[in-house]
Amino acid sequence: MDVLVRKHTAGWAAVVILAIIVLAVTFAPWLMPHPPAQQNLALRLSPPSLNHWLGTDHLGRDTLSRLLDGGRFSMSIAALATILTGLLGTAIGVISARRRGWFDEFFTRTNDVLLALPEMVIALFIVAAMGTGFPSLLLALTITGWTPFARLARTLAYDVSSEGFVEAAKVVGCPPSFIIFRHILPHLAGPLLGQATLRFGQLLISVGALSYLGLGVQPPQSDWGSMLAAAQPYSERAPLAILAPGLAIFTVALCVTLTGQRISHMAGSRLLIPTGTVKDD
Amino acid sequence: MISFIARRTAALVVAVLLASIAVFMVPYVTPGDPVRKIIRSRVAGDVVDASSIQALSDSLGLQDPLPVQYLRWLGRFCTGDMGLSHISRTPVVEQVMPALAVTVSLVILALGAAALISLPLGITAALREGRRTDKIITTITQSFIAMPEYWLAPLLVLVFALRLAVLPSAGWTGPASMVLPVATLALRPISYFTSAARSGMIDALAADHVNAARSRGLSYPQAVLRHVVPNGLLPLTTLFAVWFAGLLGGSVIVEVIFAVPGMGRLLYDAVLNSDIPLAQGGVVVVVALAVVVTTAADFVHQLLNPRLGGRLG
Repeated sequence: MDVLVRKHTAGWAAVVILAIIVLAVTFAPWLMPHPPAQQNLALRLSPPSLNHWLGTDHLGRDTLSRLLDGGRFSMSIAALATILTGLLGTAIGVISARRRGWFDEFFTRTNDVLLALPEMVIALFIVAAMGTGFPSLLLALTITGWTPFARLARTLAYDVSSEGFVEAAKVVGCPPSFIIFRHILPHLAGPLLGQATLRFGQLLISVGALSYLGLGVQPPQSDWGSMLAAAQPYSERAPLAILAPGLAIFTVALCVTLTGQRISHMAGSRLLIPTGTVKDD
Repeated sequence: MISFIARRTAALVVAVLLASIAVFMVPYVTPGDPVRKIIRSRVAGDVVDASSIQALSDSLGLQDPLPVQYLRWLGRFCTGDMGLSHISRTPVVEQVMPALAVTVSLVILALGAAALISLPLGITAALREGRRTDKIITTITQSFIAMPEYWLAPLLVLVFALRLAVLPSAGWTGPASMVLPVATLALRPISYFTSAARSGMIDALAADHVNAARSRGLSYPQAVLRHVVPNGLLPLTTLFAVWFAGLLGGSVIVEVIFAVPGMGRLLYDAVLNSDIPLAQGGVVVVVALAVVVTTAADFVHQLLNPRLGGRLG
């Protein structure tokens, strides 16, 4: 038991840190010490103080308040993109595995091709064609983002489909939708949840990248990426203003990755070794 | 093998053609008059009066059906005529090609640096599996996955360019100016390469033929070098190619931060300035290169791996 607890320390720490950040960002309107857009030019680029815990930026705005407020956008759009790509990818993957034929062939090829395309270039291209804004940001993240889910769902659904209980369900006349929802999807839930967690971290970094380039969130709204970009010219005088948002993205992405690996690992072992001897690490 | 090559090549051609159709459509789906936008990318002088626009539109065939216009555009594109930049008013191809050379060298340097660092790390971790060395290497390199380039880069600039003043903070003018961009770009591949090398090596170490080689009297280092390393690192060929394609996109951020005059910077400027011909040329070239490299890696992987039936011909 002692060994078990110690083995999972990193995983649990990640979950706890993540929970704290999610709560802080969710309740940001009540937690923010100052309005995030309030300027105080007399206090430009000030170091941390009791009034401004993380100091202020180049317009005298409170860094901590902006961090909490900006996190709402970064995290929610990453979450939205994760859910969207997860549902789309799972649907395509499962249907490919069940229907096979041209549907499978088409999406497998599309998958191969999208894997080769540089994500950032596609995102730039979409912004060029559609302009900046929420819809193009979401489309830019979704258009290539569904592929990992589809690959995973297809492989797992293929494996589960060869199990006896699926054949049995088919023989007794269960409709395909029943087989998918009752027999296939429950087996995919764990690994897909792990994948979704991992992808959330990557999407959070991508959202920040687009905002950093000025192609994501537009002023006056800000997020962690755009805060970083705004603070960069003043990095020597106020290093905390670039340290803080970057550390926020890094911490969330790292915790999410650790959690996702943990989930994938647990789900993976249960899927592969159903007899109970779950192998750890 | 032949059918494999044929199928992959067909997929490659289709992919690039589909991408080119999407790119061709940009002037038509973005706000504004497509005819004026296209004329601006074909004629160097400023055309304003309606009669000459009409005349040019006729002579350039802009009233033809879109498929006809697409084929004409594709034909010009393939012969290196990508039109004129809306901003600089010079041929796009003259801007794209030098930028491509810069980006390709940046990506190759970053991949080379990543390989030099991560292969020894991954092999060491695998040979010390489960011990402290393995845990330290694995933990540190895995945390790199979560490191955003746009955070690492300003921090590197702050430390090495502003505080220590040992490296330039921007530009692409000599070896010193390449250190920070290459280091930033290499970080994430290091993470993935180390992990892939480690797991590949662990699988290869457990294979029966390694025991067989040992029982034939090969020493442990000989067995590792002859039988484990080649098998364990084989999966990395595909990974390198995938990352080559990935870094072509990933270099956008790095090029913008460090003012490297490459494709990423070019595309970024093109998007900011709504320079449609420049963005079109840049996207098609990058996408074509990425798809070609990935497909080539599939072929190499197929050739190197005898289990996939890799015989030439």
